[in-house]
Amino acid sequence: MPEGVILGGWNFVIAAYTITAAGLVLYAWSLIRRTRQQHQKEGKS
Amino acid sequence: MNRRFAKEHWVGLAGLLLFIVGCYIGLFVAPAERHMGEVQRIMYVHVPTAWNALLCFTCAFIAAIGSLWTGRERWDATLVAAAEAGVVLNGLLLIQGSLWGRATWGVWWDWDVRLTTSLVLLLLFIGVLSLRSFAAGSERRASLTAVAAIVAYVDVPLVYFCVRWWRSLHQIQSSPATVDPAMVLPLRVNAFALMFAAIWFIVRRARLELARRRSSETAIPDRIERIEVRHA
Amino acid sequence: MSELRSQTLTLLAKDLRLEWRAKARLVAVGVFGLLSLVVFSIAVGPDSKALTAGAAGFLVIALLLSSTLALAESFRIEHERRALEGILLLPVRPGAVFYSKAIANTLSLAMLAPGLSLFGVVLYGVELQPANVVSFFTIWGLAAAGLSAPGTLYAAMTAQLRSRDVLLPLLLFPLVVPVLMASCKALALALTGDPMGQMRSWALLLLCFDLIYWSLGGILFPFVIEEG
Repeated sequence: MPEGVILGGWNFVIAAYTITAAGLVLYAWSLIRRTRQQHQKEGKS
Repeated sequence: MNRRFAKEHWVGLAGLLLFIVGCYIGLFVAPAERHMGEVQRIMYVHVPTAWNALLCFTCAFIAAIGSLWTGRERWDATLVAAAEAGVVLNGLLLIQGSLWGRATWGVWWDWDVRLTTSLVLLLLFIGVLSLRSFAAGSERRASLTAVAAIVAYVDVPLVYFCVRWWRSLHQIQSSPATVDPAMVLPLRVNAFALMFAAIWFIVRRARLELARRRSSETAIPDRIERIEVRHA
Repeated sequence: MSELRSQTLTLLAKDLRLEWRAKARLVAVGVFGLLSLVVFSIAVGPDSKALTAGAAGFLVIALLLSSTLALAESFRIEHERRALEGILLLPVRPGAVFYSKAIANTLSLAMLAPGLSLFGVVLYGVELQPANVVSFFTIWGLAAAGLSAPGTLYAAMTAQLRSRDVLLPLLLFPLVVPVLMASCKALALALTGDPMGQMRSWALLLLCFDLIYWSLGGILFPFVIEEG
């Protein structure tokens, strides 16, 4: 365990939260997009 | 086209809302930790991500056994979906862990037991998904994927155990501080948030997989081509 | 159980015969291993201390890289001539097919040991004490077994697929991390001396991994080769 107090570090916290949120949103969007593509394909055939 | 608001969307929405609430509490409401200061807040996404990544892979493992046992495509679809969701969460986990490490230890990477095990786990399941995509068109695709997933999952405790032993000869392991009750709330909220999100991911991806299989099965020219190649 | 054993032995005779006929290829694989050792020493540079310190690791990696070639080959021939389907038409247990192949692969990899070790000892300036020779080669054998079991399973899986050459290492390498770690540690202790007697623990750990992989391989192999 590190001794003393770590000052600052907000940048890392914000980065972690932002990347997590972005990652989840991107994956969700990719799922929605792929599902839509599949529906379009089924609609055509 | 079916425009009903499917059941899983409610779960997904709940996950999204809980995540917003959990992050808000984690960022602004929970107190700063004694030693680690603000950096501790990373734990409020990191730990839930870890739990749920493991949950997804466990789901994949169970689906793999089901797939080999019954041969039904529902299990196979669930396996793919859970593996993919697990890979996404695991990838995020490593990035969060790296940021945490940089903030606390000053390095982007450390051969810590958990980090190493997570990395190997990620690589194992990326392998499972790669195998699946290279096996597209093979009638053994489901069983090959299932076998790979089972082997991958069984390997994880081996890796953990081995790395722990390996590490213990080098350094004492560090671990996050034991959790103060005031900090349990954002952890719990985000744990449920990510679990609901994972459920939504898995159900959507599994449905997509089943839909793809249905539509490829009805594409007759493909099948004739495959049969001709086999008998060549 | 005795049926499995006798079938395994029969098939093993066949597999060893195949390996013997393909001995030129094994020599080539061995040379590839030697080349890897040379490349590592070039990459690390002329710092002989670093080379000696890392010798065990380099040897294990050379073994791993060689195994990728050797393992892929072991099923390619079965797949190309459809020999595997022929065998499966007989009342043979799939487990026997797996174990015979895995044993044959282990022996092939183990045969690389003398050549690679000799080369490694010379190139990296390590001294293998006579007292440690038995331990050294035992660990090598255990490492070969630890690579062969999952490798045989995955070789059978990927032989059927496109891009099999890339897929086998991609799947195998993360899987054998425990084997790599344990054998690197154990071999290093065998090479440099073992003041605290830890080598035994690492070797036992390696043996445990081997047992787990060999059991799992036998259980899962039928699903890999049976008709869908």
